[in-house]
Amino acid sequence: MNASTLAGLVGAGLVGLGLYGLIVNPQPLRKILAFNLIGSGVFLMFGIVARRGAAAGFPFDPVPQAMVITGIVVAFAASALSVALILRLYEETGTATLDSDPAAKPPDDGARDT
Amino acid sequence: MTGALGPLLLAATLVLPLLLLTACLSARWHNEALALQWLAPIPAAAAAILAIAGGPFAFDAPALRLSLRLDLPGALLLAVASLLWIVVGAAVFASPGDRPNGRFAVSWLLTMAGSLGVFIAADLITFYLVYALVSIPAYELIVRDRDPSSKRAGAVYMAFAILGEALLLMAFALLAAGEPSGSLRIEDVVAALSTSPWRDGALALLIAGFGMKMALAPLNGWMPLTYTAAPIPAAAVLSGAAVKAGVIGLIRFLPFAAPLPSWGEALAVIGFVSAFYGVAIGITQQNPKTVLAYSSISQMGVIAAVIGMALASGDADATPQIAFAAANHVLVKGALFLAVGVAAATDFRRDRLTLILMVALALSLAGLPFTGGALAKFAVKDPLGDGLAAGLANASAAGSALLMLHFLARLVRTASRGVEAAAPGLTRLWPAIAIGALFTPWLLYLAVGDPRDAASIAKLWDGLWPIMIGAALALGLQRWGKSLPRIPEGDTVVAAEAAFNASLPISAVFESLDARLRRWPVAGLSLLAIALVLAAMAAYGG
Amino acid sequence: MIETPPALAATAGGSLLVLAILLPCAGILLSFALGGRFAERIALGLTPIGLAIALAVSVLVWRSGAPVVTNIAGLPPPLGIALRADGISCVMLVTAALVIAGAALYARASFATPAGVSEARAPLAFWIMLQAIWAALTILFVGGDLFNLYVALELLTFAAVPLVCLAGKPETLVAALRYLLFALFGSVFCLLGAALLYGAYGTLDIVLLAERVRPQPAVWLAAGLMTAGLLAKTALFPLHLWLPPAHAGAPPAASAVLSGLVVKGSFFLTVRLWFSVLPALPGGAAEAALGTLGAAAILFGSVLALRQPRLKLLIAYSTLAQIGYLFLIFPLASGAHPWIADGWGGGIMQTLSHAFAKAAMFMAAGLLAESLGHDRIAEFAGAGRAMPATVFALGLGGLSLMGLPPSGGFAAKWMLLRASVAAGHWVWAVVMLAGGLLAAGYVYRILAPALSDGVVVLKSPPQRSREGVALALALVAVALGFAPQSFFDFLQIGRAAATAALP
Repeated sequence: MNASTLAGLVGAGLVGLGLYGLIVNPQPLRKILAFNLIGSGVFLMFGIVARRGAAAGFPFDPVPQAMVITGIVVAFAASALSVALILRLYEETGTATLDSDPAAKPPDDGARDT
Repeated sequence: MTGALGPLLLAATLVLPLLLLTACLSARWHNEALALQWLAPIPAAAAAILAIAGGPFAFDAPALRLSLRLDLPGALLLAVASLLWIVVGAAVFASPGDRPNGRFAVSWLLTMAGSLGVFIAADLITFYLVYALVSIPAYELIVRDRDPSSKRAGAVYMAFAILGEALLLMAFALLAAGEPSGSLRIEDVVAALSTSPWRDGALALLIAGFGMKMALAPLNGWMPLTYTAAPIPAAAVLSGAAVKAGVIGLIRFLPFAAPLPSWGEALAVIGFVSAFYGVAIGITQQNPKTVLAYSSISQMGVIAAVIGMALASGDADATPQIAFAAANHVLVKGALFLAVGVAAATDFRRDRLTLILMVALALSLAGLPFTGGALAKFAVKDPLGDGLAAGLANASAAGSALLMLHFLARLVRTASRGVEAAAPGLTRLWPAIAIGALFTPWLLYLAVGDPRDAASIAKLWDGLWPIMIGAALALGLQRWGKSLPRIPEGDTVVAAEAAFNASLPISAVFESLDARLRRWPVAGLSLLAIALVLAAMAAYGG
Repeated sequence: MIETPPALAATAGGSLLVLAILLPCAGILLSFALGGRFAERIALGLTPIGLAIALAVSVLVWRSGAPVVTNIAGLPPPLGIALRADGISCVMLVTAALVIAGAALYARASFATPAGVSEARAPLAFWIMLQAIWAALTILFVGGDLFNLYVALELLTFAAVPLVCLAGKPETLVAALRYLLFALFGSVFCLLGAALLYGAYGTLDIVLLAERVRPQPAVWLAAGLMTAGLLAKTALFPLHLWLPPAHAGAPPAASAVLSGLVVKGSFFLTVRLWFSVLPALPGGAAEAALGTLGAAAILFGSVLALRQPRLKLLIAYSTLAQIGYLFLIFPLASGAHPWIADGWGGGIMQTLSHAFAKAAMFMAAGLLAESLGHDRIAEFAGAGRAMPATVFALGLGGLSLMGLPPSGGFAAKWMLLRASVAAGHWVWAVVMLAGGLLAAGYVYRILAPALSDGVVVLKSPPQRSREGVALALALVAVALGFAPQSFFDFLQIGRAAATAALP
């Protein structure tokens, strides 16, 4: 088993764990952590791709590395936005959980728009 | 000169009502536009007369996807329809005191534009558009009084209208698909219809869709509800002019060039069943407007039967005769609806003329000699042939006589109770309208055949004996009528409404399914499942 | 010197594409820098310029009959990134410019910075997010590289989510959080798919991939993952959990853009994926699966819309149903059959007409809610007389949703019906007709109370200009019904190149 295969298995494992957490866990913070876990798994995939797609003279392909960096930035922004929303939700309601009312409808006095 | 005038008049037929509509909507011209509304069908009437006297002509505006064409059957119907709209429009809008509000006027103009346009549309898209115009804005005309019965009638009417539109849309898609060169002109798609692979589906959908409009049994439930609930002018134009959209649809879209025995006979059977069904249910009704509605169902059934017989024998020359029969019905039914209001305002003991005219008008639907109705019966003799169909037609004439005598009895009895009385101007003018309705068909018949053929003594007896039988049955009805069951107006609709209400809980099932699907774990698993299924499908190919 | 193959060569006018992207990006930066009420002015000022650029690109594509291509920094793929504007890109650019312009004009009243303060949270956020959505959409419509498109998709999501919870109420925060998390779930699948494709072929450029794609496990898995991720962002049944509360809870101008444009962005990407990257995959089973989900969405969304007591939720569920119509493009326009032109034209026309009609309806619903203080449909009696122009705009939008002529919705439905009849796929025809009947039902549910007699007390009469914007967008939806055949030929520009890549 070479490094690529090991990395691939680990990546697949991360994605699987992340999927489990994302689907099963009801708390948003854990969903964000799970999302980041999946992201790490995908970045590992990119790493393997970089290694395997190397041209003759280079030990690795730079393009997937660029993609990984972009992906990290995107994941970071996503996590930041989500955490901000969770914090705001906690400030407003004192709780931060999503599945309290899955068919959540705005209250009956009509959504007053600003 | 006539070369350019005809197409211009065709364009004006659609443009003038829409111009008046914009004038109605503006505050500045609102009152003038309402007062002049009844003039809007004049270009249509002129175009129709031009086409009857001369030959067909057409108008095309490819940029607007609009093509119009007026041939003889369309011209016959357009002439009487525009006449009806003018007369009833004058009755409704001419007197400043009792003028209806803006919404009624807007719907009036839209329905009028559609009703006139339906006879001149020449391609599928234009036809669908004007058919929607004649069906949908009429809702406002029906529910003008806003009481619960008119709202129910309006809802049922809309349901049938929208369903009919959907069936027609599918039919048009099949028609267009069967036309190899991609043309959407009606004459092209119909020419390709008999050899098209989708012929049977298209024919079924066309008959169902247009049959809904003509209230052929069993799709007739909306008509009694609508005409009872609608105010009299609206009922007059809807039963007179708007329903004929179904007739012109069958005339235009059925492929008469080649005989289709099975389809033609099926249509004839449906038609005759409607004809007798209308009589049977009509004699149990008490409200004169409801009786008139069932009479319309019966008359449209006869016309559908004639169309069916013409289709079965491949008789393409029968279409002007059929259109003539329908045109006669336009005039008579319109005048009869107005008569309901006039009767409420008339003292029959003093005004004998009105009474005589009402009797003549009512019996003309049964083929009273020397009236337009007799001409109509004569005109459709050829397509009906000599066999069973002709016998059934005579029997239905007797049934119509029975029904119309019942109508007259109810009219006189309920005249003072509850029905909205017509304005004095209309009451004074009504005899002229009735005479016009009785004898204008003689003028129109000149375009279809020789009136002298219809006026011989032999035809006199042909016209009289069904009426005598009907009169005898009517006497029987007077004696034993009380024991007839009370059938609610709208017969089949009542059952349909019950079925509809019973099916409403299905939507609750959808809502609980939605609640379940929107739980996060379920949605997450669905996402995963979809990814895997799509990957498998991509692999499988297909 | 490597010769650039003709498919990848840049064409004249390519700088317009770069300009189209730079314009809203510059707007965002300027808005941040200048802040406050300048953000509104910048947004309003840039929309006409953006519209002009979109029209210029369309004229160029129309004249040359081929897509306008540019390679960033002159480097062609696989080294660089290409931007390509074909027929459908142009119409989507113009549509986006018009709807965003309309939303901006409509939102001036509700998101004006109050006098006396230099900057307020909600207005600043709104104007910046609006421009961000516009920038993201522009990249989505002209991008030529799958990773580029992924990043644009993320930008779209991040800009759309704050708009949902701009009012700050708890339910909207929950809706926004659910939207964000589910969209991220989808994104990560897209990224995984991109990784697999790059691993297989060494490039993510659309034209190069189209040439190289072969039926292989990596491609199948990538197609499934990316499509599922995009479906999550488009809220196709059964992945629609986030859409109704998000679109109904957002402010009306934002709902107009969310329903009209944002969901179309991920749909556009799905179309690009299946019609430009993957046409070499044989068979139509996956496309049929997408069509099936679309059909289920039509029926499901319409029935649920019928049950809603509140107007904004009804319109949101109606969006679910109309999105289903969009996905009928997959079975009806794929492969090499005589009817695919009809299917393609119908699907794109549905995208455009729904964008305008839904934006108009959300704006009209917003005006009703503001003036009446609530949006309970049962209590609308008499609203038609008090606010005729608003209800008329609602009605015109409904006309397009029902598919009655003359409207873009009818033109789309007619073409899709013709394609299904020609293909012999009766199931799509029946579903479309049933959807039309159900749509008539829920439009009737909205209009019948509004048009009935009653007296309604207006808290404040609606502004003429805002009614005008809603009416104008609804009229565009109706005018699309008169699109000539040359419009549908224009939509085909760039398609031939994609199908020519078939092995």
